[in-house]
Amino acid sequence: MQDKDKTRRKVLIGLTSAVGLSGIPFAATPFIAAWNPSAKAKAAGAPVKLDVSKMQYGQQIQVAWRKQPVFIVRHTKESIANLELAVPKLDDPNSDKIEELYKGLNPSRSRSPEYSIFSGVCTHLGCAPKYFPEIEPKPWDATWNGGFFCPCHGSMFDIVGRVFKGVPAPTNLVVPPHMFEGSILTIGEDKEL
Amino acid sequence: MSEMAGKLFSWINDRLPIVNTFERHLSKHPVPSKVNFWYLFGALAAVTLIIQIVTGIWLIMPYSNTEEQAFSSVEYIMRDVDYGWVIRYMHTTGASLFFAVVYLHMFRGLLYGSYQKPKELVWIFGCTIYLAMMAEGFLGYVLPYGQMSYWGAQVIISLFGAIPYIGESLELWVRGDYYISGITVSRFFALHVVALPLVLIALVFLHLVALHEVGAGNPEGVDIEKYLDDDGVPLDSVPFFPYKVLNALVAIGVFGIVFSIIMFFFPEGGGYFIEMANFQEANPLVTPDHIAPVWYYAPFYTMLRAVPDPLGGLIVMASAVAIFFIVPWLDRSKVASIRYKGMYSKIALTLFGVSFLTLGYLGTVGVTEVRKTMSVICTIIYFAYFLLMPIYTKYEKTKEVPERL
Amino acid sequence: MILQSSNSSYLIRILTFLIFIFCLNSLYAAEGGPCKDYGECDKFEYSLNDMESLQRGAATYINYCYGCHSLQYSRWGRVANDLQIPEEIFFENLVFDKSIKPGDLMTGAMSEDSVNWFGVAPPDLTLVSRYKGDDWIYSYLRAYYEDASKQYGVNNLVYPGTAMPNVLLSLQGNQRLVCKNIPVIAKNGGEKRDEFGNTITKEKCGFLEVEEGTGVLSKEEFDTLIYDLTNFLVYVGEPIKATRERIGWYVVFYFLIFTALASLLYREYHKDYK
Repeated sequence: MQDKDKTRRKVLIGLTSAVGLSGIPFAATPFIAAWNPSAKAKAAGAPVKLDVSKMQYGQQIQVAWRKQPVFIVRHTKESIANLELAVPKLDDPNSDKIEELYKGLNPSRSRSPEYSIFSGVCTHLGCAPKYFPEIEPKPWDATWNGGFFCPCHGSMFDIVGRVFKGVPAPTNLVVPPHMFEGSILTIGEDKEL
Repeated sequence: MSEMAGKLFSWINDRLPIVNTFERHLSKHPVPSKVNFWYLFGALAAVTLIIQIVTGIWLIMPYSNTEEQAFSSVEYIMRDVDYGWVIRYMHTTGASLFFAVVYLHMFRGLLYGSYQKPKELVWIFGCTIYLAMMAEGFLGYVLPYGQMSYWGAQVIISLFGAIPYIGESLELWVRGDYYISGITVSRFFALHVVALPLVLIALVFLHLVALHEVGAGNPEGVDIEKYLDDDGVPLDSVPFFPYKVLNALVAIGVFGIVFSIIMFFFPEGGGYFIEMANFQEANPLVTPDHIAPVWYYAPFYTMLRAVPDPLGGLIVMASAVAIFFIVPWLDRSKVASIRYKGMYSKIALTLFGVSFLTLGYLGTVGVTEVRKTMSVICTIIYFAYFLLMPIYTKYEKTKEVPERL
Repeated sequence: MILQSSNSSYLIRILTFLIFIFCLNSLYAAEGGPCKDYGECDKFEYSLNDMESLQRGAATYINYCYGCHSLQYSRWGRVANDLQIPEEIFFENLVFDKSIKPGDLMTGAMSEDSVNWFGVAPPDLTLVSRYKGDDWIYSYLRAYYEDASKQYGVNNLVYPGTAMPNVLLSLQGNQRLVCKNIPVIAKNGGEKRDEFGNTITKEKCGFLEVEEGTGVLSKEEFDTLIYDLTNFLVYVGEPIKATRERIGWYVVFYFLIFTALASLLYREYHKDYK
């Protein structure tokens, strides 16, 4: 075979393979994209609205957003003032280790100084921590100042969801995007973000 | 590193015949050097089978096999799932083109005598694949639970009712209800996605193993095994790789063009691939104005209609498929290819092809007197082609087949 | 000899014969068309890239049809998005129930009583363009005529005895069935004339004519309204249709290039054993 023919073959093989292989990502796209959350799942996971003005001071409620628990706590003036007391026990009081949406805005870590909104999923292995607002000695902490305790592996968080030192949970509880229109709280959407 | 990989590979190869199998059945497998486009439909059928399996798996994920949700889950796939429409249209287009390709593949067999000794088993496995495909296609068509799904299934299941004595209880047993309900859909779903695909894959494997044992044919009907080189490789053959692979690539390219034109521009195929009435949810109380089977069953449906008695129709329809199995023993010709067969064979095959297509057309339109007569005539021609084959192939004058390709 | 030629011509011959059969069959075709008494359906050409038409169609649908006919597989937000209507404007002007979220399905605004009002439940119309066809919808909505014998005083040429009242009556005006004198067509295709050269006419009935001044819209305006509405229903029947056709061109183009290269390569290697 002549050299000219050999080059022609090489060029054609190169071109055909290049075109053939370049089709693979496109052919794979529908199959990969089909696993994304569907419009139905997105509709079911739409932002949740609720009126929080009826909550009592010190009360904690739980709402489901994207089928996951989100905790809302309405703080008293004292409990906000007491937040400083917990700082020595905390692992990451200023949320430097995570992407915090409303960093430095309010001590409550949310858009409102009075309410805290954070995910009720423990950052350790996904259990739901329980709310113990009382300031009294607890089996897991003799100097308990109120906060969240996870029954699964004993992780502790303060009343605004910041994690304690020396517990299994590595980071603070996550604050989801949210906004207030008067007393109407929307979880899952923040038009100003 | 590469030394390690090489060692690992040879360790495996000593225990599993990778290289041997690859060379024997793929890279070095000898294929006739001169074939025409008719010999490419087998490869295309394999490609389509893979498309159907992959898209099928992806459709199972969002599909819901209940009476309440089957129909709406298909719309969910079409609208709410990202690119769900691509996957579904690929599957519907693939189904129709699978049949198109297989019909052409089968016609090739009749054209060039691809069933003749020693290829009888290849042919029989092929016919069984076709039979399994018909069942697979029917079951799949019921799953969207639209009006055509429902009424098509109603007609087909009622065929069981034509069987004497056990008919009616058989119908009930197949449905598992007094109408085609969620449980029927659920059963058909299990058969469509698990049972029949397993059977199909096994049959395709056997079809190929048997083919590689006896060797592929050619349009001349020449036995290439007669003249071998010093290594025992037929002189009129080329290795599968790269020659046959390149040939198949061209075919796949052309097939891709046809496939994407249908899929992206005419996914309903003018109502032949996805029938209009199937965009309405199944309603057991309202029959659509016009029930027509999907095009690939149409020839057999026409035969069913051509016979006034349901049981007779069923027998005719079943025989029309079954008769393919005995073709190797009906053909008494000394030559395989139509090129060297006589005048009678050529006329018979042409008439057969025309009557098959006419039957197909008649199955998709309503019945009139003229059409009814035509369907009877075409059914007779269809069977005459097979039943007279022992006579016309034996007594016609054939031409001399060349020694070499 | 005819049958001795190459093998591929078998296909051609069979196809020719088939075309012949088709022609033969159309001669004997006895079925009526889908548009019934209307005759041939009017042809409808969708234009899914004409956003203004789709937006007008959506507005007409929501104002006149949605009260009875849901679009249960379609989502509000997607319609707004696909039709390029800003979400605020869409929700303010076209969504009357303020509790509706963009992701919600358009499940309709009708109570269960509807069956009692019309004798049948108004069907969901998400897929009507796919099971009835766009030609049918376009013809049907323009084929209402006055018929005092019916419950709502109207009947329809495309769908005789339809259970739906003509909700667009005030826009279209009173349409009636009239008779007209029309020229008789001679065998040679021209108009038939008598010995004095006058056109021979014959009275023919079944023409639709709108009583002048009874409708808000002119005939052209009304046809445009129905065009837009039908166009919208074609969109709702398959929201991805425009995108599908756009992607299609790329895919076909890709396979053309691939086939061209593959066949060049095949021919190159074919030289080895020619």
